[in-house]
Amino acid sequence: MSLITKTTLFYLLVALLVFGAGGIVTFYLVQKEVQKETDFALWDNLNDITAEIEEGVPLAFLKRGKVDITDLGPLPRDTFLTFSDTLAPHPYLQGQMEPFRKITAVREVGGRYYQVSITDVFIETDDIYDVVVDIMLRLFIILSVAMLFFSFLITGWLFRPFKKTLDRIRSFNLKDHKALELPQTSTKEFRQLNAFVAQMAYKARRDYLAVKEFSENASHEMQTPLAIARGKLELLLETPSLTDEQLGLVQSAQQNINKLSKLGNSLLLLTRIDNKEFADNREPVDFSRITQNCLDNFAELASLKGLALKSHIEPNVKLLVDPTLADILVANLVKNAIRHNISGGWVEVNLEEERLQVRNTGSAPRVSSEQLFERFQKSHQNNNGSLGLGLAIVKKITEANNFQVSHQYSDGVHEVTIAFHVAV
Amino acid sequence: MKLLIVEDEKALSDNIRAYLSRGDVVCETAFNFEEAQDKLLSFDYDIVLLDIMLPDGNGLNLLRLLKRLQPETGVLIISAKNALDDKVEGLELGADDYLTKPFHLPELNARLNAIFRRRKFKGHKVLEFGEITVNTDTHDVLVHDAPLVLTLKEYELLLFFITNKNRVLTKQAIAEHLWGDNVDLLDSFDFVYQHIKNLRKKIAAEGGEDYIKTIYGLGYKFSAD
Repeated sequence: MSLITKTTLFYLLVALLVFGAGGIVTFYLVQKEVQKETDFALWDNLNDITAEIEEGVPLAFLKRGKVDITDLGPLPRDTFLTFSDTLAPHPYLQGQMEPFRKITAVREVGGRYYQVSITDVFIETDDIYDVVVDIMLRLFIILSVAMLFFSFLITGWLFRPFKKTLDRIRSFNLKDHKALELPQTSTKEFRQLNAFVAQMAYKARRDYLAVKEFSENASHEMQTPLAIARGKLELLLETPSLTDEQLGLVQSAQQNINKLSKLGNSLLLLTRIDNKEFADNREPVDFSRITQNCLDNFAELASLKGLALKSHIEPNVKLLVDPTLADILVANLVKNAIRHNISGGWVEVNLEEERLQVRNTGSAPRVSSEQLFERFQKSHQNNNGSLGLGLAIVKKITEANNFQVSHQYSDGVHEVTIAFHVAV
Repeated sequence: MKLLIVEDEKALSDNIRAYLSRGDVVCETAFNFEEAQDKLLSFDYDIVLLDIMLPDGNGLNLLRLLKRLQPETGVLIISAKNALDDKVEGLELGADDYLTKPFHLPELNARLNAIFRRRKFKGHKVLEFGEITVNTDTHDVLVHDAPLVLTLKEYELLLFFITNKNRVLTKQAIAEHLWGDNVDLLDSFDFVYQHIKNLRKKIAAEGGEDYIKTIYGLGYKFSAD
């Protein structure tokens, strides 16, 4: 629901409450005013009658349907004036009672006392109620229509710069070689928003470029010194006078240099996938062939490790993916299955139209299935040359291609499944 | 073998030259595009070792130039980039092989020798070491003129030893040469020992000497000493 729709609905809700309360207040105010006016008219009428008595108009003449006069005689008594509500038969409608307003007064006129009572038709409460509700309802309808019209107007015109800004932000890509451009607007808040967003985008782009440059340079700049150090150690190995202990130290240094070099390459790969550098190289790839090639490459290593390698590969599984990443994806899964295995175990690779599944025997993982795909999460105690980045790379590749990866472990068997066609 | 090393990193270039010069390789060096171009225009080389990323130009352009000037010269590309497209482009332009940094120097030596054999002797090259002869064309191995039946891995192992004779070879360098980069999947390099044991046994059966010297905990050295 858009902001304007929400605001309008909320406003109408408040208006409904205000009109309800306003209706009640109006009802009582009108009722009070009507009563005041009726009372005033009755009082005025009373004064007229008093004056007419004084003028000597006969009482019988003055007594009409609504006026009742009683001569109380000359004995002095209290004079008073009261108003009261009463019910009386309706003048036209047979058998229906109707509310009347009644004034009762005792007055002294020319030494005699008279009790005068006058009744008058009173405007009915439910009539007032009906009118008030009617008025409020009409006003509310007019207001609602006006509000809806107004909200359309606001969305279409007032919020146009905001919508443009949103569109620009949505289509903004750090990889594009241009800064974020936002529309001009006369609205102060939108101007502030645009300035803020533009500054954020500028900073993000600057940081992104710096990180990208760093990680790109890191590979070359790091590999060369490593290659040099490795070469120096190899030259050192050629020195005839080295003791076994010294040779062992050199070899250990060499092994760690190898590891560092592989680590650099893996981290760079993760960064490059993150930077979407492979996104533009997607092409229809024969995944069946890639999987088969990968299995052929690893068959010898698997058999050296005493592992049985089984596979069921459906032919002609085609996917739109970067070919390099497809290779890395399958290779990492198979490598992982071979590495974290048990003696006499097996690896099974199944490729179908919908998914790639790699199953292998292995010991129970020490971390949860989700954590297995995080960087440097070593799931096993034995550090058998694993960098801890293989599954992180798998995860990254699947994310970049909208695949879905999952892991299960039961009865000594690991099962990693990659679903290719995931509804987005 | 006359080799031109085109590598901008002087220390790495020195390593390679120091290592290869101990064998029968004459090394010259060029540290940038300009220098390499001058040398290629002036001299003939058997093999050019070419770093693609040079400070003042793309090594692939040097490769194009070289293939026009001296098509017979072998080319081994070295690069930190293990990008597939660079590799493919280099090989399409006529490079013989591709090596990714960092590499083992014995591996570099073996690859250079393989290119040299292919280029210079069109594969008809017989390597000799004592009573052992290896025909790299037919893959025939003779000990005291008696044929030796070797598996493919044993053959590759023997060839690696002979091209790197008198050099220390770590078990890792041997394993990576025979089984590729993914060899770290294996928990130990014991299977290297298995192959070496078999090779020794087969050579000894034909009355050959045991040239494979074990360096405890580290690796092996193929030497007549």
